[in-house]
Amino acid sequence: MKPRFVSAVLAAVALATGLVTSRAAEAQEIQLTGPLKGAPAVRQERLYRKGRFEIAPAASFSLLDEYRRTILAGGRLTYNILDWLGIGVWGGFGAASITTDLTDRIDQAGGAPRDPLTAVNVNHLNNPSGGFAPFAAQAAKLTYVAAPQLTFVPFRGKLAIFNKIFVDTDFYASGGVAFVGVDERGNCGAPDQLKCSNPNSFKLTSTSKVTWTAGFGLTFYPANFFSLGVEYRLLPFAWNRAGFDSKGSGTNGNFPDGRIDGQDEEYVFNQLVTVSLGFYLPTKPKLSE
Amino acid sequence: MKQARRWLLLAAALTLLAQPAYAQKKKPKGGTKGAAPTQEGAPAPAGAAPAGAAPVPVDADAEPAPAGAPPPAGADTGAAGAGAAEPGGAAEGGMDVCQITPDAPQCQAAKEFNLAVEAQKPIHAEIYAVQQQYVIKSGRFELQPYFEITLNDQFVSHDAPGLALNYYITQVLAVGLNGNWYQGLNADSDFNFQNRREARIAAPLNEYQASGDLNFTYVPMYGKFAGFGDFIFHYDAYIDGGVGFIRTRPIPVIDPDNRKFDWNTLINFDVGIGLRIFFNRWLAAVFEIRDLIFFDKIERLTIANGTGSNSATSPSTWYDPDTHFTNDVQMQIGLALFLPTSFEYRLPK
Repeated sequence: MKPRFVSAVLAAVALATGLVTSRAAEAQEIQLTGPLKGAPAVRQERLYRKGRFEIAPAASFSLLDEYRRTILAGGRLTYNILDWLGIGVWGGFGAASITTDLTDRIDQAGGAPRDPLTAVNVNHLNNPSGGFAPFAAQAAKLTYVAAPQLTFVPFRGKLAIFNKIFVDTDFYASGGVAFVGVDERGNCGAPDQLKCSNPNSFKLTSTSKVTWTAGFGLTFYPANFFSLGVEYRLLPFAWNRAGFDSKGSGTNGNFPDGRIDGQDEEYVFNQLVTVSLGFYLPTKPKLSE
Repeated sequence: MKQARRWLLLAAALTLLAQPAYAQKKKPKGGTKGAAPTQEGAPAPAGAAPAGAAPVPVDADAEPAPAGAPPPAGADTGAAGAGAAEPGGAAEGGMDVCQITPDAPQCQAAKEFNLAVEAQKPIHAEIYAVQQQYVIKSGRFELQPYFEITLNDQFVSHDAPGLALNYYITQVLAVGLNGNWYQGLNADSDFNFQNRREARIAAPLNEYQASGDLNFTYVPMYGKFAGFGDFIFHYDAYIDGGVGFIRTRPIPVIDPDNRKFDWNTLINFDVGIGLRIFFNRWLAAVFEIRDLIFFDKIERLTIANGTGSNSATSPSTWYDPDTHFTNDVQMQIGLALFLPTSFEYRLPK
């Protein structure tokens, strides 16, 4: 008991000392009086956005992809009605589509077996050059995105780097409706459709989805007429990324039903990181009062 | 060991006793306590108190000089000479500011200084883009509770609560510890099961128990934002890195009937970049991206069919012979509490 008592006393002393010495927090708060009272927070602020068009070529990279990564080449076109509000469009097309390690492993020796258990889900067609039809040929991919959107810019400031480099910066959030082009495995298995074990049923077909998109980002202004930007964006929609028959029968439809259809699509919060280079017209920003 | 634990607690208590963290260099001896120090080569600010006067408040330039305080050495306290400006600029015509706000600092100062003489003095002003950092961190502790989510593992998410404790040796450099507890929050994605069922192929999965790191933090960036053009808040950005441990084990998916893995303690390195947004001078929101880098042990994709030490039940056959370079990229969201909660500036703003 004695060592525990001593330990408890010491712990209490440590805690009490910490609490006692951490009082008097508000001693340095600044109360503005005199001529500055009621003055705007920032004077002569460079209004990088108000009344200007932004043309920003951009590259977007998808995150957390199971079977295929996409790089979208595109951009953002925005007219900034106010310094904190803009309207425009963001989009791009799938410039590159890179398979993941898992996709490669399905095709490798010792990968997915081609037997009756997988006949509906993996193409058993023999390649003339050896092996089977590549799994990548049935993995879905993004082909384009176009999203009319509003952009809000609640925060505006500057960044000091090593006390030597100073960059005007703003934080923005944007959101809107997105039209997404997807190539994914077509429907099969219904009475009037191909059987899902038919090699031709593994071909990708183009579809369009309508969803919402939202993101936030930082814009850095090294000069009056151009900026650098980085943005994180959500693009949620349902799609069948592997072309598998996963759902449609059994309890809660959680078992395969031998068909590929909308029930096999899964709603996913697709994530993208975008980097951009923005150019502004007119090239010279206005100043606030 | 019991003795050592008590001594450690005593040491912690004594360390905390010395806490009022004056985040500036010691004031020179000689009775100048509370006097406003001035920049080398620069004239004393208007209203600056002489030696022995009251301490300089943070908004010293808005405060009048104490009544009866003598002027700084060299200042002409007599009546303004020929050509001296009227207080508030009335000599230039227009409205005299001092008639409207006689308490304004420049009006008080003008009674005691010959502004014409003062104006002739050389000024070596040093203007900073961000004047007087909002928060002094040097000599203070930062306690950082946070929650992190996985950004780059589509197979198993390793979310965890965490706690960090940093001590700022200088305004820009800190040393500290942080730890995460993952066990119970590892989440195996549905798509792993679907992939195994539909394609008959399994991806090896790992779960984490805990991690801890010794970190150094460097704060090269700071600044301020105007919110909706109306209010101003301050922030800084930092990078950190260190070394520590992480405990992981495979989730058996290849041969779950035979394999049952124990936790492995592995060395990890971590690097991160973070942003702190200050609500006041001791509380901030923290966003950080951190990468835990380590060589993980994963489950072997094949099942041994021999006997003895080469059988499916022998643990020596359960692991892949190679370790795998792993990046666990995490996004952390939390709070930063700076202790002690108060501090003093060395210079007036």
